[in-house]
Amino acid sequence: MPNFITHQDWLAITPLLIAGGGALIVLLVDLLWPKHSPRAVSLAIGIGVLLAAGAFAATTYGRSYNAFNGGFMLGGFAVVFQEIIVLSAILSLSLFGTFGRDDRMAGITALLLWSTTGAMLMAGAANLMTIFLGLELLSLALYCLCGVADRAASQESALKYLILSSTASGFLLFGMALLFGATGSVTLASLMLPGLAANPLYWMGGGFFLVGIAFKLSLMPFHVWSPDVYEGAPLPVTAFMSVVTKAGTLAVFARFAYALPAGGKLLLPFFVIAGVSMIGGNLAMLAQTDLKRLLAYSGVAQAGYMVAALAGASALGMRYAIYYLAAYMFMNLGAFAIVAVLSGEREEGAQIAAFRGLGQRRPWLAAAMSFFLLALAGFPPTAGFLGKILILAATVNAGYAWLAALLIAGTAISLYAYFKVLRLMYDPHDQPAPGPRTSAPLAYAGAALCAAFVIIMTFYPLTPSNVLPLVK
Amino acid sequence: MALVLILLPIAAGCALFLLPRGERTISRLAGSAVAALTFVLPLVAQNGGEFSVRWLSRPFTAALHFAWTGPSLWLVLLLALCTYCAIVATNTAQNRSMIALLLMLEGCMMGLFTARDILAFALFWDLMLIPPFFALIEWGTHRDTAWRFLIYNFSGGLTLLLATAAFGVLSGSTDVIGSTHQFAGSWAPWIFAGFAFAFAVKTPLWPLHTWMPNTYAELPPPFVAVVSAVQSKAGLYGFIVIALPFLRTSMAEWRWLIVALALVSLLYGAFVALTQTDMKRIVAYSSLSHLGLIVLAIVSANPIAIKGALVYIVAHGLFSAALFLILGYYEEREETRSVLKLGGLGAVNPKLAGAFTIAALAALGLPGLAGFAGELVILTGVFRAGYFWPALIALIPIVIASAYMLRLLQDTINGPQLADIPQRRDLTFAEALAVAPLLAALLYVGIYPHALLAAVMH
Repeated sequence: MPNFITHQDWLAITPLLIAGGGALIVLLVDLLWPKHSPRAVSLAIGIGVLLAAGAFAATTYGRSYNAFNGGFMLGGFAVVFQEIIVLSAILSLSLFGTFGRDDRMAGITALLLWSTTGAMLMAGAANLMTIFLGLELLSLALYCLCGVADRAASQESALKYLILSSTASGFLLFGMALLFGATGSVTLASLMLPGLAANPLYWMGGGFFLVGIAFKLSLMPFHVWSPDVYEGAPLPVTAFMSVVTKAGTLAVFARFAYALPAGGKLLLPFFVIAGVSMIGGNLAMLAQTDLKRLLAYSGVAQAGYMVAALAGASALGMRYAIYYLAAYMFMNLGAFAIVAVLSGEREEGAQIAAFRGLGQRRPWLAAAMSFFLLALAGFPPTAGFLGKILILAATVNAGYAWLAALLIAGTAISLYAYFKVLRLMYDPHDQPAPGPRTSAPLAYAGAALCAAFVIIMTFYPLTPSNVLPLVK
Repeated sequence: MALVLILLPIAAGCALFLLPRGERTISRLAGSAVAALTFVLPLVAQNGGEFSVRWLSRPFTAALHFAWTGPSLWLVLLLALCTYCAIVATNTAQNRSMIALLLMLEGCMMGLFTARDILAFALFWDLMLIPPFFALIEWGTHRDTAWRFLIYNFSGGLTLLLATAAFGVLSGSTDVIGSTHQFAGSWAPWIFAGFAFAFAVKTPLWPLHTWMPNTYAELPPPFVAVVSAVQSKAGLYGFIVIALPFLRTSMAEWRWLIVALALVSLLYGAFVALTQTDMKRIVAYSSLSHLGLIVLAIVSANPIAIKGALVYIVAHGLFSAALFLILGYYEEREETRSVLKLGGLGAVNPKLAGAFTIAALAALGLPGLAGFAGELVILTGVFRAGYFWPALIALIPIVIASAYMLRLLQDTINGPQLADIPQRRDLTFAEALAVAPLLAALLYVGIYPHALLAAVMH
């Protein structure tokens, strides 16, 4: 076993180094600029850095390399997740056009880049140490990001997130320790060892580990943090968090799940939780009056759909989970972009009531919002529709027909919640509520990009083939 | 070519939204031109407008595959004709929005009726719910109606989606409409149940019909003409092109349940139609009754009955579109839909009354008009298939149909004039232009149903 770091190892983490190092550049420019660097400069450097990281990651797509002795696995799986993470970071960053104080922009951009780095690390992490490293890097930066707005709610959100998420990290770490005790190794590959099933440490460790994962994925009943945190955090941060945390954690979960022999009995409760999330998340959406909370609960349910795709740990299931994740990214961030256009610094646009009569005031914006909500509900011709049918096919194929049935039931419920917003926008009996008329060209561009991809993905369903989460 | 049929109306509908809000003439002209084009295109284009592109290769093969062969052609023509008539009949301050939505509805349903792939079918199934939903939001009187319409039908869409996924996974391909192979296995009855639920909601069958009366009563006349005439046929069409060719044996396992529901719908619809006073509701419930007969024909799986079902699908489409348009004219003139407040209109506007009479007589199955041809062939087929008692029971609502349709005619056209309203003009030229094609088609199919039968069963 070689003990030194090779050239290949460095190459494998170059995208991470670009993103992480780019953050330093943003800060340095801010320091050298007379007073503070303007918002546009920070954002431009941030987006440029992310583009570079994404482009470099893309060049490694076909390669499969086991860097740092199995600590970081390069390959199609990691790259696809990294691309999704980078793209959502870019889209979220583009929403910052109208949020946050100018003088804090460099710091915000840097934190966002570090958070992205953490998530990218999670995408390739294949041993317990790197998983934790990635998760903490992602989370620590996010705690700060949640609190960057000058509102009490924002700071409250940061504190809540810090406390609850640290608890989850504790669970995860404890589970990891027990798993290490059971296998004597930190690599996920050691979970494949025969005879583990007889060891109670393995079951306990796996259980704690999965509780931590369920927490980060905000699956019911471990979701309680997400609506509060989403509501308080600045809008672009919420958008970022809703996709990137899920993407990173889903990658970790997939590596774990696919490493277990034949799917593993250990996972069955996890799929039950996914089923509960589909129903519960959608039910909870019905009661919301704040759009960010609504999207938080929607995220609970959508995470359930993605996990359901992995039931049975089939090769196809992984592809469809990724497909749905990408679809969710575009649908969800598209919706956030519209909210961002409607919101000023106080985020009054995030109230569902702010959408009253939008169809008359700003018909194109209303049409775009309807489109994203319909996509989230799974209406055709959107990637949400095709994603659902692919997940249904994968679950039926893997013998988890009950999950497919729950998905259908959950979707039926969700329809009512999404259409509640739609009705407000188009009801002619409602007087339009006055709203700010902001112009946010970047957010418009982001929304247009999202809409285009939601349609393109429906008719050209690219599901890359080498996306199995290798651990060895 | 089939793609043009789908995309042209949708694109035209979107384009109309660029016109100013109150615009009336251009949207009507452009809309009717587009609808007329979609009627002519399938008649002149060769080989069914075949269009196919691979869509999915895993977990099952699926294709964006469209064509208008077999029964599709008749539904495509019916849809284009009804849309044309509905657009010509549209005459309100919100012409632009209504015609735009009508065109979008047409495009979505064109996709449904030309789909050769079950997944594409499912896609358009959900999509076609959106234009009527917005129409109900915009012009309906109760908010709940739009919701009920959408929740019921989208639930059906979801079971359809699940059934499609299961069908695709187990049989390997959904690009199958137009072919025939029996799909067996322990899952088959449940897959059929998934499809059948969706189709039964859309048709509708009792007890899944509760969304229908309010929806039909509150949609503006041009819209309800298309929805009741064509969209309600989507479920029946689904039974014919999906359930019969692939899941006939599973359908046989459920047949008594379906026969029972069809008979209840037949009787229930007819009896409730007798008690209604709202003109649109009378026709709505009569629809429930008539479509129950078609379900009965399909579930008997007898080739003659299915031919009859196709004729009756077209016939029902023609007369219900005509009836709803004409009722719309009356509503516009009298500002009421209640038969209790009407009477003696035959003397005031005789041409309109004449058109009304033809449509109503077709609905009650007068020989020589399209309804009769369909009913007769269906009953013969159902009887031949060995469903003696169901066929006999199905005769009762046909008799009752005469009662409620004649009552509808008598209460409005005959009798004393109850109120004096100044704007009671007779059928205008534009209005006549909208209903004349429907009435002519009713007569043509009634006298020469073979034209339809021969083309459908080649």
